[in-house]
Amino acid sequence: MRIVSAADMEKVSRSGLRKIRPEKPRIAVGLATCGIAVGGMRVYDRIKEIIGEENPDIELARVGCIGYCREEPLVNITIPGKPLVILHRVTPGDAEEIVRAVEKGEVPVEKALCRIPLWDHITGCTQEYGAGFDGIPRYEDVPFFSHQKKVILRNSGLINPEQIDEYIAIGGYAAALKALSGMAPEAIIDEVEKSGLRGRGGAGFPTGLKWRIARNAEGDRKFVICNADEGDPGAYMNRNEMESDPHMVLEGMLIGAYAIGVSEGLIYIRAEYPLAIRRLQTAIGQAREYGLLGKDIFGTGFSFDIGIATGAGAFVCGESTALVASIEGRTGRPHPRPPRLTDPGGGLFGYPTDLNNVESWCNIPVIISKGSEWYAGIGAKGNSGTKVFSLVGKVDRVGLVEVPLGTSLNTIVFTIGNGGAGNKKVKAVQTGGPSGGCIPARLFDTPVDYESLNRIGSIMGSGGIVVMDEDTDMVDIARYFINFAASESCGKCVPCREGLKHTLLILNKILAKKATKKDLEILSDLTETIVATSLCGLGQTAPNPVLTTLAYFRDEYDALVNP
Amino acid sequence: MDERTLDAIIARHDAPAGRLLGILGEIQNQEGYVSRETLEMLSEKVGVRISQLYGLATFYSYFTLRPVGDHVITICMGTACHVKGAVAILEALEGLLGIKSDVTDDGKLSITTIDRKFTVEIARCFGACSMAPVLRIDGNLYGYATPEDLPGILGEYGWKP
Amino acid sequence: MIQQEIPGKPITVTINGKEYRANEGEILLSVAIREKIEIPHLCYEASLDPYGACRLCMVEVVRKGKREMATSCTLRAADGLEVLTDTPEIVKHRSILFELYLAEAPKSDVIRDMAARYGVTRTRFLKRIEQGDPLGNKCVLCGLCVRACSEIMGAGAINFINRGPYTVVNTPYYAPSRDCFGCGACVRVCPTNAIEMEDAGAERVMKSWSGTRVPLSPCECCGRYYAPRELSASVLARLDTPLKEEIARLCPECRGKHIAREEILAKHGGSAKHA
Repeated sequence: MRIVSAADMEKVSRSGLRKIRPEKPRIAVGLATCGIAVGGMRVYDRIKEIIGEENPDIELARVGCIGYCREEPLVNITIPGKPLVILHRVTPGDAEEIVRAVEKGEVPVEKALCRIPLWDHITGCTQEYGAGFDGIPRYEDVPFFSHQKKVILRNSGLINPEQIDEYIAIGGYAAALKALSGMAPEAIIDEVEKSGLRGRGGAGFPTGLKWRIARNAEGDRKFVICNADEGDPGAYMNRNEMESDPHMVLEGMLIGAYAIGVSEGLIYIRAEYPLAIRRLQTAIGQAREYGLLGKDIFGTGFSFDIGIATGAGAFVCGESTALVASIEGRTGRPHPRPPRLTDPGGGLFGYPTDLNNVESWCNIPVIISKGSEWYAGIGAKGNSGTKVFSLVGKVDRVGLVEVPLGTSLNTIVFTIGNGGAGNKKVKAVQTGGPSGGCIPARLFDTPVDYESLNRIGSIMGSGGIVVMDEDTDMVDIARYFINFAASESCGKCVPCREGLKHTLLILNKILAKKATKKDLEILSDLTETIVATSLCGLGQTAPNPVLTTLAYFRDEYDALVNP
Repeated sequence: MDERTLDAIIARHDAPAGRLLGILGEIQNQEGYVSRETLEMLSEKVGVRISQLYGLATFYSYFTLRPVGDHVITICMGTACHVKGAVAILEALEGLLGIKSDVTDDGKLSITTIDRKFTVEIARCFGACSMAPVLRIDGNLYGYATPEDLPGILGEYGWKP
Repeated sequence: MIQQEIPGKPITVTINGKEYRANEGEILLSVAIREKIEIPHLCYEASLDPYGACRLCMVEVVRKGKREMATSCTLRAADGLEVLTDTPEIVKHRSILFELYLAEAPKSDVIRDMAARYGVTRTRFLKRIEQGDPLGNKCVLCGLCVRACSEIMGAGAINFINRGPYTVVNTPYYAPSRDCFGCGACVRVCPTNAIEMEDAGAERVMKSWSGTRVPLSPCECCGRYYAPRELSASVLARLDTPLKEEIARLCPECRGKHIAREEILAKHGGSAKHA
């Protein structure tokens, strides 16, 4: 069927709600890539084996990931009238016990992580699950969750990402309906501008302004692209966003396309994310069936469709001109800007193109749904909204953390992450991937926002936070990143191609204890030139891990260097 | 790759955006590598110079130009995996399989055992950082890996000490 | 893609404190070349799109009292544009870039002389010397040969292979190319004379390109092999000139003699095409 009105939407919504909260108990297994890898699929299969293909009394479903990766596999249980209960560290061996308990309207309390009596999906739906199970901690009391604010991840782990009805049931595509049928494109851009949303890919360019430039660009054909090339090692929030809530990305793109005046969209996604690709393909197919993509959406006369283009393992393709080259079937060697993507001649196949990161797109539906004022009230001045971070490395509670921008590193690493794993002392975090820097623990009162991180030599980047402890060798970390950047350099300009190679050779020499003070001087001269003269952002920022470790952990270099 | 398979792949990628990398990606997935014969056939069929296709196949690390072993083991070298001991996993794997991995002249790391049972490669990041260190064998991910786990994991793929 | 430049309106730019006339939108490096202001460069070629790879042509742009570095090969002339080509900042970074080039192409006299002209006579970086390098350890990956081959000649015989520090230029699979027609455009655009080509009898050998061999056609008059056979055919197809026939049959030397004879005949009342 095609959805053209609020009434159609309501009908689908009711069907979706019956899937999320059926009249019988529902067991939902968290099946994003990480959940599957730690055995989630085996748990799912075992439960299915026990309850059979079609069970009249129990519904078995797949959901995405709520982000508490350390505790996976996670299983949600919804018993009508009772709170939703999240079970953690579930094994196939637990399946029998879970099914038996659920059959009796109960849950295995000792496997329970927390209960959720009420959940606000923000975009117009609050799920009142019910009361009971008082012996299980409430969601808000779990230290990993209590300091988070889930806006982007509001549906992750609670709905089936392969069922568009469930997304619609929690208020999905309502923002698109509102935008397309009731708002002028300019008004949408105004809202996004007023919300203060900045690019979540790392550079923090105002999204609304980018859209305005793209809208005003000359050209009868234009593109919008979703950058899903998530290339920073140690970062995986985009993967989870696409695997757990793919329709949010599509809805954001649909609204953006309408605002900019574009009928063709593309998602450029790395080939290393096969599950995210599959879920996006499924989502696109379902959206087309409902007429949410394709011709004459909501009967407004506006047409828009989305295709998928896969990357092939090149970090540099996160750079906008390299990304476009890659989609066009060329090697990802950046070209000097201008022309920018939004300029005539500069975008995909020469047409003006608007490029936004996955998480930027994810922010759009909620901005339209709740309004810019609501959105701008979250976070800090000039840094509104929340940001999802992947908190990984040598931290106790590993997982995806969503907090308002401006939250301090202390809160993220210690309050939410519980500090070092195995009671080790945390020494530093690395933010922003290979373009970012290492921040020492003494600067953890720094608020995580674009400017504050820049001031201390790092960047926001896409949101990876890798924790290092007392055992981590910071010079080795610098070498790790330079090795990464050198092998991911496209090889076009000499400072990046040759400069990073020689930086790596010098770091190897230092780590082999064969370097002298003279080598440190050369290192410093060379990195300065790489920053100043490289063609694109990859080269210009690649020395950051060296520069920050030299600034904050100089003693570790000195200890390795001969006089 | 036979001509019919290639034709089918080409037919699936009719949109100009993402076409060439999409086709090459499917060839890689199906063949396990991109052979010279297939690349030359593709060049003829899509009317793109072989120098351009070869440039793509050697630029992007997703593609391999040499045949791989029966099972491909990919070690994640993302930051989280690095700080949690990915290098030790790689070294232990080399010890068990009796190989020494080294970067080849094309800058890619890929080495196959003499009996052609296993190929060891590295990846820049799977995005499965929460369970670092991670390795992947034929599409199956193994998280929280330790050198001690390896014999058991490899055993699932027919490895014997 | 080669874009034809339409000359913009006349404007004034300031280079090193002196004013020069230029056309709006003109590439600053080409203004400098015209005015004989020395800016080192390796990857710039007027007939190709700006590429911005060698980074040697960086200058400082003065904007509202602030200075910012930019490559002059991608910088477009605009009224009031002010640049400086030899500031301490430029000199410092340019020297490091020359050191990197000296390490990358240690056998190139061109690089050695160019660096020396800017006061750089040694490199602190490890020199890369590869035995049997088809480009004689002289290539700086400026990309001119690749671009001339595909964008000007439409041959696409050579390309970049690999990426990052492993990047090289050669034919696919390092095998003789079927797409090369031996025009030698690559040889002529190479700024470091790295590409070797040799005519041996009826064949032209592209020694640097995996020994690609291209047949030459002989001059009908003197019998000397003078032009790549395939190239002649494709060039001739595009030519529209009365000379067409002579070019197809005669080497440049015999063509000269032939034209001269025709001229003489014409003057003395005989039949001639080039009156």
